[in-house]
Amino acid sequence: MHSPLTRRGFLATGSGLAAATVLPGLSGCSALTGADSDPDTLVVHSQLGTTAPGSPTYLAALDRFRKENPGLKVKNLINGDDLAQVYETSRLARKEPDVVMVNLYDKTLAWTDVGATVDVKGYLDDWGLRDRVLPQALAEWTDAKGRVRAFPYFATNWPIAFNRALLDRAGVEQIPTTGDELIAAARKLRAKGIAPVTVGGNDWTGQKLLAQIIQTFLTEDEARHAYTTGDFGSRGAREGIEYFVTLRDAGVFADKAQGLTSDTMTTQFNTQAAAIESAMSSALAKVPEKVARHTEVGGWPLTGGAVHDKPTILRTYTLIGFWISPNGTKKIDAVEKFLRFMYRPDTVSRFIKESGRDMALRSDTLSTDFPLVAAAQRLGSTVSQALLPDVYVPPAAAQPLITATSTSFTRGTSAAKVRAALETAYRSA
Amino acid sequence: MKLGKRWLPAHLLVWTYAGLLIVPLYYFLASAFKSNEEIFAHPFALPSSFGFGNFRTAYDSADLGTAVVNSALVTVLALALTLLLALPAAFALARSTSRLASAMEKIFSLGFLIPTFAALFPTFLLAAATGLFHTRLFMVFFLPATAMPLSVVILVQFMRTIPREMEEAARMDGASTYTVLRHIYIPMCLPGIATVLLLNFLTFWNEYLYSLIIIGPDPEQRTVQVALPTLKAITGTDYGVLTAGTVLTLVPVWIVYTVLQKRMQQALINGAVKA
Repeated sequence: MHSPLTRRGFLATGSGLAAATVLPGLSGCSALTGADSDPDTLVVHSQLGTTAPGSPTYLAALDRFRKENPGLKVKNLINGDDLAQVYETSRLARKEPDVVMVNLYDKTLAWTDVGATVDVKGYLDDWGLRDRVLPQALAEWTDAKGRVRAFPYFATNWPIAFNRALLDRAGVEQIPTTGDELIAAARKLRAKGIAPVTVGGNDWTGQKLLAQIIQTFLTEDEARHAYTTGDFGSRGAREGIEYFVTLRDAGVFADKAQGLTSDTMTTQFNTQAAAIESAMSSALAKVPEKVARHTEVGGWPLTGGAVHDKPTILRTYTLIGFWISPNGTKKIDAVEKFLRFMYRPDTVSRFIKESGRDMALRSDTLSTDFPLVAAAQRLGSTVSQALLPDVYVPPAAAQPLITATSTSFTRGTSAAKVRAALETAYRSA
Repeated sequence: MKLGKRWLPAHLLVWTYAGLLIVPLYYFLASAFKSNEEIFAHPFALPSSFGFGNFRTAYDSADLGTAVVNSALVTVLALALTLLLALPAAFALARSTSRLASAMEKIFSLGFLIPTFAALFPTFLLAAATGLFHTRLFMVFFLPATAMPLSVVILVQFMRTIPREMEEAARMDGASTYTVLRHIYIPMCLPGIATVLLLNFLTFWNEYLYSLIIIGPDPEQRTVQVALPTLKAITGTDYGVLTAGTVLTLVPVWIVYTVLQKRMQQALINGAVKA
């Protein structure tokens, strides 16, 4: 019996398959390896580029930058929520991108300390871009050792959105500004089958609102201490937790809030199933026009003994910054060109006008096509500002705190148990 | 044919089970044509429009065309390499009666015990050390390594069912070892090969963690499983678009599954007749 596949034929087939395997792989390999090491290619790693708010504007800006700098190639790497993890492994392999666009939160808080990204203070001054940045933004991006972690870019307002039409339908005449008014409004809304305050009690939106409510009785310094150390035993913190529990057990939050997410929250508000939400700018920009035209923005209602004199909102300037990697310092001329372009007033204006983004940079442009975003920008001194704890929560405690949030939003959980859950999040970290 | 009343409970159970399977499938397909508002407000209602807007957005935003090509490239090459390595290994183990072969077979089986996460860091170090980090090539080498335990164990069992007399007859006709493998064992093991191909195809195509870390986020190289999550935004996901993207990436899986499943059934019948 003669075999058509001889030993030589078998080996040849194997070699052919191996070559077929290697060649396309190698061609792909060279694409990225080349980009990493090619001084004429700037590699940017971003969360923008698909469906995230601001993506179309960002991609258009990149195209324009390419046209203005024909000799400089730009490679855009895109990740979603997993960007930080992917960047860290790239850095370990010394193949990290030159510029990273991500917020200051959780893992990224440690990047400057461990050398994963560089202090940009010198570049900010040398390139004359410091004056473009809002002072509050610069302060938030500066760490305890005076290093500026990244070039600030996106900011966000986080007001409370009230659906005026639903409140009217339930017989609530005024936007609630006190805890009692909020509880009364919640009862009337529930009687009409409308969920009062919708919130993602199972994720970061719930964590932020819980932090905001606890701060009703905390000064900025006390809040900073509580969220840095995980000590919620102070009188103010305990009163804040009590206030939250009172509101929760009075039915202020949507049913089963402990299981809701940011997506269900925005959908409940946008479909008018709920009357009130704590919404950041990017969510406000997505409120449908028919809902937006009878929506008002304001602050979270206070109660007797509060340290704030006006309802509170959250505001942060740490949403997206341009971090420079050690690889980026080797192509610093290209990075400079890119950042100068992104900081240019016309580029910044496009993000405000086209995408309704709040910026950490100076600009006179208003988000006129996004009325709720513009209204939040104009809130000014009519509201008081609570501290966003993101920069102060140790990275290891960030996720456990979100888990503790879900416990806190579960009806019947006592104030003592809420406090214990919050403190355990720090201890277990 | 008239069915007796005693079959009624069985029919009820079967149709209930079929219904339970169809409901999520319907929800999944219907959601691909809806907006977020429709999905959340009326999850089981028919879509108000059957336009392909969500599919277009998903395809363009996540660059799914390139991602599908990348996934196909990695999966097909890894499958080829898996068979190239597993077939001779299984052949040798199935034919040998030595203690060493028995020990080797047990070592292959031990591969099942390695948890995916435990291998991540050493694998990453290997990719970095070989200069193959951020390449699809590393995944083409890596995926067969993970698939060897299952592939070898399955193929060994199939090859052991082949009567030794078949090989002896071929040997008397002057067949070499490679001829025996090529003309006796491989044709008679087609059910096993189809099974290995099908199981590994599903595993390779759906692999996420290693593809994310090793291949990375470059749209020119990333696989569908890495491209799809970019449609999810922390500040508000468009679930209609995300579902449409998922449907698009499932089409190749469905086609391959259907084709291979038929082949596997045919091969099973053929194998049984031959044996």
